[in-house]
Amino acid sequence: MTAYLIAMAIVALIYMLLTIGLNLQYGYTGLANFGHVGSFAIGAYITALITTNGGFAYVSLPASVLGAALVAWPVALLSKRLRTDYFAIATLAASETLRLAIIEEDWITNGVHGITSIPNMSVALGLDVDPNILILTLLIAANLLAVALITRMVKSPFGRTIEAIRDDEDAVRALGKEPATFKVKVFVIGAGLAGLAGAFYAHYFSYISPEQFLPLITFYVWMAMILGGTGSILGAVAGSLVLVLFLEGSRFVRDILPGVTEVEMASVRLFVVGMALVLLTLLRPQGLMGDFRKR
Amino acid sequence: MILSLSHVAFAFGDFRVLDDVSLDVPPKEIVGLIGPNGAGKSTLFAVTSGFEKPLAGTIMLDGRDITHDGPVARARAGLGRTFQVPREFRHLTVRENLLAAAPNQTGENLLPLFLSPRRVREEERALREKVADLIAFLNLTAVKDTPSGSLSGGQKKLLELGRVLMGDPKVILLDEPFAGVNPVLIDSLVDRIRELNAQGYSFLVIEHNLRALSDLCSTMHVMDRGAMIASGAPSAVLDDPKVQEAYMGGVL
Amino acid sequence: MDFALFANLAFNGLIEGAVIALPAVALTLVFGVMGFPNASTGDVMTAGAYAAQTGQIAMAGSIVAGVIVGSVASALLALVFYLCVFRFFQGRPSMYALVASIGLAFATRSTLTFFLGYDQRVFPIPLTRAFSFGPLRIVPSDLYILATSVGAIVLVFLLLYVTPLGRRMRAVADNPDLARSCGISSHRVLSAMWLIAGAVTGLGGILFGIKTVITPLMGWEALLPAFAAMILGGIGNPAGAIAGALTIGIAQELSTPFVGFTYKIGVGFAIMVLALVLRPSGLFNLSARVR
Repeated sequence: MTAYLIAMAIVALIYMLLTIGLNLQYGYTGLANFGHVGSFAIGAYITALITTNGGFAYVSLPASVLGAALVAWPVALLSKRLRTDYFAIATLAASETLRLAIIEEDWITNGVHGITSIPNMSVALGLDVDPNILILTLLIAANLLAVALITRMVKSPFGRTIEAIRDDEDAVRALGKEPATFKVKVFVIGAGLAGLAGAFYAHYFSYISPEQFLPLITFYVWMAMILGGTGSILGAVAGSLVLVLFLEGSRFVRDILPGVTEVEMASVRLFVVGMALVLLTLLRPQGLMGDFRKR
Repeated sequence: MILSLSHVAFAFGDFRVLDDVSLDVPPKEIVGLIGPNGAGKSTLFAVTSGFEKPLAGTIMLDGRDITHDGPVARARAGLGRTFQVPREFRHLTVRENLLAAAPNQTGENLLPLFLSPRRVREEERALREKVADLIAFLNLTAVKDTPSGSLSGGQKKLLELGRVLMGDPKVILLDEPFAGVNPVLIDSLVDRIRELNAQGYSFLVIEHNLRALSDLCSTMHVMDRGAMIASGAPSAVLDDPKVQEAYMGGVL
Repeated sequence: MDFALFANLAFNGLIEGAVIALPAVALTLVFGVMGFPNASTGDVMTAGAYAAQTGQIAMAGSIVAGVIVGSVASALLALVFYLCVFRFFQGRPSMYALVASIGLAFATRSTLTFFLGYDQRVFPIPLTRAFSFGPLRIVPSDLYILATSVGAIVLVFLLLYVTPLGRRMRAVADNPDLARSCGISSHRVLSAMWLIAGAVTGLGGILFGIKTVITPLMGWEALLPAFAAMILGGIGNPAGAIAGALTIGIAQELSTPFVGFTYKIGVGFAIMVLALVLRPSGLFNLSARVR
């Protein structure tokens, strides 16, 4: 039971990093990122490639963050020219193109077969401790750090300006501030967090393949963010907990109903996510537009 | 001249919106701009503040050619503007709106934010004092911690004026500052503008409320169908038959 | 340079473009009138294809009956989406409807996979021999696909530009408030528009299924190229969307010898992003609009 709770906590903490990053991008700045899973994939693949070739996690973790941030940078530049919904489509296209590249460039990524035997956290750090406890500890530390960092950012003049950008970009321009500089920074930081999440994901599951990085993951994270309410860090934390409870809970349901196959259960899960997105936007629109915030 | 437009032209596709428009704002003066709906007044503001690119003509701000600058560069050069429909940062409180409008804050950059927190804190303290004074000046004290999205139309207009003032601009363009504002508040808004003018601010004001505007401004320009049709002292301009014809179909 | 190869690729691209043109027209109609990119379009295509295939088998193998069943089913599905969901987002930021449309896409796809599984399906139509036409090797079914697509598009254009319904629809698109004050029931007009958009979308899915195979992901995969076509053509411009679809279809096919099959879709995305950055009003949007 403890092992199971630890496993759940690890997955929840990985989603939490993703949700905190997306919340900074969309919740605070209005950057609709539909390609979040792309940054997640880059982090996972960089870590997998470095550590399966003998590199240590001391190198691969920072490399995953920097790599995801670096790849996100040109995509971030698009936000200068595109309105919210176009930017959303462009980022979705970018993450799908990246997935195609992972499939196609098999000389480096092993294509659809994926990368196996990624060392666990203990091996990757060269420490003689329980890998699950270690990764859990590191994930807690990473999340605390991310929350601290982002709280400092959003409760500062920087945070005020990105929220102003979300509310009205042209008015920000009329005040002599260039929204693009802020948007690029925010997008790249959110991508870096997703890259870190990807690194932990690779170590924890020890196997990654392109089909783990479908756009569905992006929308899991959107669901968690909307559930918790945009523009709220605690909301992001709560939302990802609910998300993982749901994803895991759906496994329990299958154990209780023996007639349901895993394939059917995947359909049910997708249906629930879809209906949740519909109902949340219909019935709890504050979740999407940050009107929930207490000041 | 603090602001000078000469021979400005602009078109949406094939549709000419501005045709050879010239206009000057002398220092420390309030200049009015009137004209029927669709005359091109707001487009002239958009072109002046850099949100639209003119097809022809030059725009000078305090002796500097800003024709080819974007809206951000123009704002930094000292051109402040408000919008016809108020564009408050609706999730931010009145105070946060004004704080966000302050230019060149150290804490807007991430490195100093984390590396020199003390400097950020001190700057923020000074800024808060400045904002508190401004809130008192604008009579917004009662709503200073209210999210600006829930303010009345008049309060939003005041807030936008306050945001512009935070940047200490050389000239302020006001787009219909009295539209949708209740009459009591209009008087206080007029007082504020006069007071600012006495402090040395120059204004260019678009307005449909001719009574309030002619009280306020020293020079008035009239636009119709994209062209300037009359300029001069308010009383003379309003008596001009051409203006009466264009503006009100002859009834003024 | 192998001329025959490129001629055949271009022809194939033309057919693919003609198929993508259908969802692209539906997307651009909805975007023009409702103001949001409808991400459920792809999965409505899939639903149309499955309904048509099921209908065809039920109707003793008649493909015409299948096409009718599929188009009607997807038209009704789109109408239900409008009545139950999208109509509540009018006048709200487009992100609401966009996120909800993603949700509807997932709900549609998961319903299909729950009941029908993930297996590929094909339309039971007789195989026909390809014939040569100059350098081209043409499969007759491709010609039927092309003809059906052209026919559907002509019908939509007649509806939009000749009938009173189309005039009302464009009035609502231009200015909903003004249209309402002129006594046009925007609710009725919008319902009609969603029926048309849904039928066209479903037909796109059916033709796509005839050209290749029916899979649960086929529509989602067609969504981004259809978006790209819409953006290339300029939002709310059906003729532009068709031109955009043909451009993307042909460009994708012609690029395969150089970039490989996998990146073919990436070429479509690249064109879209370039179009967005260089000319957000659309490459084929020749009539400059005052907006």
